[in-house]
Amino acid sequence: MLQMSWLIPLFPLLSFILLVVFRKSSNENTAWIGVLLTGASFVLSFGAWLAVWQGDGIKVEGTWFQLGERAITMGYEVNPLNALMLVIVSLVSLLVHLYSKGYMHGDERFSVFFAYLGLFSFAMLGLVLSPNLLQLYMFWELVGLGSFLLIGFYYFKPEAKAAAKKAFVMTRIGDVGLFIGMVLLFWQVGSFEYDEIFSAIKNGELSQSMLTLTAICIFVGAIGKSGQLPLHTWLPDAMEGPTPVSALIHAATMVAAGVYLVAAMYPLFQASETALTVVAVVGGVTAIFAASIGLMQKDIKRVLAYSTVSQLGYMMLALGASGYVAGIFHLTTHAFFKALLFLAAGSVIHAVHTQNIEEMGGLWKKLNITGPLFLIGALAISGIPLLSGFFSKDEILMSTYADGKYGLFWIAVIAAFMTAFYMFRLFFLVFTGKPRGSQKGVHESPSVMTLPMIVLGVLAVVAGYLNTPWFGTFLTDYLSQGPVELLHADHHGPVWIPFVATAVALLGIGLAYMIYQKGSVSRDWLTRTFPGLSHVIYNKWFVDEGYDRTVVKGTTGLSWLGVWFDKYVIEGLVAGVVSGVQALSRLGSEMQNGQVQSYGTFAIFGLVLLLLIAALSGGYFS
Amino acid sequence: MDLDTLLSYKWGVMAPEFIILGVATLLSVLDLFMKKEASRKPLAWLAGAGIIAALVSVFLQLDQEVTSILYDTYRLDFFSKAFKILLLLGTLLVIVLASSYKKEEIDENRGEFYYLLLAALLGAMMMASSADMITLFVGLELLSLSSYIMAGLERRNKRSNEAAFKYVVSGGIATAITLFGMSYVFGLTGETNLFLIVQNMQDEELLKHGFLLVFAFFITFVGLTFKIAAAPLHMWAPDVYEGAPVPVTAFLSVVSKTAGFVILIRFIIITFISAPAAPNIDGEVMLLQVQPYVMALAAVTMVIGNVTALRQRNIKRMFAYSSIAQAGYLLVPFVSNSSLLFELIWFYLLAYLFMNIGAFTIIQLLTTQAGSNDISVFRGLFKRSPWLALPMTLFLLSLAGIPVTAGFVGKFGIFMGALGLEPAHYWLAAVMMLTTLISYVYYFNVIAVMFFRDDEGRKISVPGGMATVLAFCAASTLILGVMPGLALDFFYGNFDINEFFMRIEEVGTHTH
Repeated sequence: MLQMSWLIPLFPLLSFILLVVFRKSSNENTAWIGVLLTGASFVLSFGAWLAVWQGDGIKVEGTWFQLGERAITMGYEVNPLNALMLVIVSLVSLLVHLYSKGYMHGDERFSVFFAYLGLFSFAMLGLVLSPNLLQLYMFWELVGLGSFLLIGFYYFKPEAKAAAKKAFVMTRIGDVGLFIGMVLLFWQVGSFEYDEIFSAIKNGELSQSMLTLTAICIFVGAIGKSGQLPLHTWLPDAMEGPTPVSALIHAATMVAAGVYLVAAMYPLFQASETALTVVAVVGGVTAIFAASIGLMQKDIKRVLAYSTVSQLGYMMLALGASGYVAGIFHLTTHAFFKALLFLAAGSVIHAVHTQNIEEMGGLWKKLNITGPLFLIGALAISGIPLLSGFFSKDEILMSTYADGKYGLFWIAVIAAFMTAFYMFRLFFLVFTGKPRGSQKGVHESPSVMTLPMIVLGVLAVVAGYLNTPWFGTFLTDYLSQGPVELLHADHHGPVWIPFVATAVALLGIGLAYMIYQKGSVSRDWLTRTFPGLSHVIYNKWFVDEGYDRTVVKGTTGLSWLGVWFDKYVIEGLVAGVVSGVQALSRLGSEMQNGQVQSYGTFAIFGLVLLLLIAALSGGYFS
Repeated sequence: MDLDTLLSYKWGVMAPEFIILGVATLLSVLDLFMKKEASRKPLAWLAGAGIIAALVSVFLQLDQEVTSILYDTYRLDFFSKAFKILLLLGTLLVIVLASSYKKEEIDENRGEFYYLLLAALLGAMMMASSADMITLFVGLELLSLSSYIMAGLERRNKRSNEAAFKYVVSGGIATAITLFGMSYVFGLTGETNLFLIVQNMQDEELLKHGFLLVFAFFITFVGLTFKIAAAPLHMWAPDVYEGAPVPVTAFLSVVSKTAGFVILIRFIIITFISAPAAPNIDGEVMLLQVQPYVMALAAVTMVIGNVTALRQRNIKRMFAYSSIAQAGYLLVPFVSNSSLLFELIWFYLLAYLFMNIGAFTIIQLLTTQAGSNDISVFRGLFKRSPWLALPMTLFLLSLAGIPVTAGFVGKFGIFMGALGLEPAHYWLAAVMMLTTLISYVYYFNVIAVMFFRDDEGRKISVPGGMATVLAFCAASTLILGVMPGLALDFFYGNFDINEFFMRIEEVGTHTH
């Protein structure tokens, strides 16, 4: 089975190629091409995962090209970490393919959408299978390209087009860091391969400052991709894409790639205490920051988007607090329950044709499958006991506490409270109470859409049992086969942590219930109590505006300067030459007639330039 | 020099140049005898055949050891072979473009373009094969003079005239600067042969005038930035690119730029590699002393090219700034004295050749059929002509340096080279990375216009020759992105970099 794992990304690629060929077909059965080929990927991934579970593994590599003395390699690898990722990515991709068959029904570019999904899945699976950083980087960029196409799918909406560009450029800023870190590592170690890098770290071949520098550079890449502070602003905007895309890209796969990158390079981070602390702090601050914004948003998908940013922050916090297993555990459970929430949100949008939660309400009875499934997702993300999110979030809190990061621990607890609050604010406003806005012809989505949600709903409940203090630590044992030395995996944190976590979750749900269901607390309680704060939160802490005023304005200014120089200095000179020529010849002559004069003008300009350079360097050298 | 000496030379090593010279002469004679209204397409085919023959003869020379005739004014070494392949290949593709170039204003058949193109190529090839300042300069002028005329070939097009005019004037300035710099080198060492210059530079007496040598370096370097369109002599590029006929623009942006790097590397590296350090400046050798300055020039080039390209609506101007930016990237391995200098520049120029000529093919198709150079000619191209939109996307991705394209491998290599040095050139690498980021915006803007805009424009018809060029460029861009080993192994397998610095004592009976 493992020998065939190189086929895993190729199936979606084949789907992409086939669907590009059939892109003009109006027959919606083209979706089955995507579903079947992604299904094949999933079967192979699952097989690979089972094999790795039994202690197997594979790594195949060959020389890609030679640069000077160095060989650059390519290949594929299946190890415990990426086998798990393969299953998550291919499963969510399969379910999203299936769901989109219903969701995109009737779209003019139905087949093109599935083609893009195929391209994206190919890139994402290729990223996960990569045995070295360079290959990962290449797929990393391709993933960005796929998401550019998918976010901009509704290109007739200017917001979608802008969001696609923003996502592409913002994540690229992070990529600069990743690229520099990667090349620096190469010159220190002589290879891009994970194994060689890890053994070089183990043998102490890298200085401490180099370790910290490269780890932080690589983490910058993860910040961009995983929407961490301060490069998070593209993610909420990316909600302009079709909802299944949000479930695929912005819940389970692409945004998780940043977390995956840190996990895959974990020995590097472990070698630098500073780098780990940076990861933890960025993660923790992002978790509470994004959760606070989620409290006020009115667009159902934007709430989920900020929630994703916040949950990714949790994962980073876990990794930074030496909670390797906790981070990956949460990555897994989050992939399921967040994909479920996005798909359920899509089902709601499909039914009521609006994304504004103020115009929803009372949908529980009308959407009798979506409603309960959304509730499961909301309970899971809030960390209610026995559901998956409870176990993974609990483990993150445990690791953070055990690592002695008490400040971040309490930040995470407060963020957990906010999470429960905004999720149930969403739930109550959408599903309970009286319908607001016009709700005509609201009906449950077709089974091709509900089936994937049911599968995810089941997983959102049971995925937590992969790693529990009660039934067994399967995931810990499984991941311990990998190259990472596990710390804090022994579950000897204080007993009170799960109780605190449960308590804040219930408190958050309770508060949401009081405000949005019972109405016993006024809805503008928060706004009235903290008017300044809520203004800041509602405007997303003014991060976008900050960028606009500094970076964007700066670049346009620079560009303007370039154009100005070109237009007035260069063009002005030319215009001067031309008009001088015309004035001199006075015979309505064409430009050619004045070549001698203009030659002179330019020659003087050149001479001045020359003298300037000569004087400058001469002055320096005297 | 007597006849025996003359006959003792291995004239066979000059076979590629002789072929081009012969074909160019033949074309000019044929053109004279052809009827005025007869189509000049056969001339294009003949020119193409000549280039292919020259290309074949370069490949046949691959095994030949380094040879020098005529007192090093003509050298056959790895460098001349490697870069002649690029020059010939680029010109071949340009000829195909030119043979399909039609504009309504041109109501007469013009044959001179083809032999001017071959003359320009000949000049570039001579530069690749010369190690003497005089022949280098003559080659440079042959290339320049032919290019000036080509830029103005559309006689009734004012813009074309303007382009030629500006090109000549700025070219003259560049030549003056270059010659001024070269005169310093000659004055200090009393030689025109590059290897003898190097020898004489070890003179104790010269050390006293170290700073004059630094002067000479700066002046020649600046003069030579003209051909590659790098700062500070880059400003001609947007106007000339805009006004010149598209095939000429393609030639200027690819072949002429390659030739610019050829003379830059040949002259600067050989002459100054062991130049003594000037007094009063830090650094052990002169090339390291001047490094911060030339690195700044490379950085400025990258910034100007990419930042100004952002605001261009005219696609040819945009590509002019893009080509300035690309020159900046190409300067990075050169100014940082990377040990991988030759293969990095060679590979990037190869990749650049395919992606840029490919892009210009599509630009030529669209702009001539729409009669406009505005970026809006790309509107809805994916819907209208997907088989043009997809290769264009590939070329743009490659120019931007996105993986699975030749441009990515090229940029990746340059980056590796800059960071692999001791000490690593962090800030130069960072400038390159950040300006690349800026370039995404304008490259992706074109992609967005092609994919994300609807337009009911007509379908574009593609002549066979251009379709071939397009397919060839697209396939090469992709193949070099997936299997860069093909080109790099060819390079390492056939070329020995040491040949570049090898001085050959001439065989023969002459006394010098």
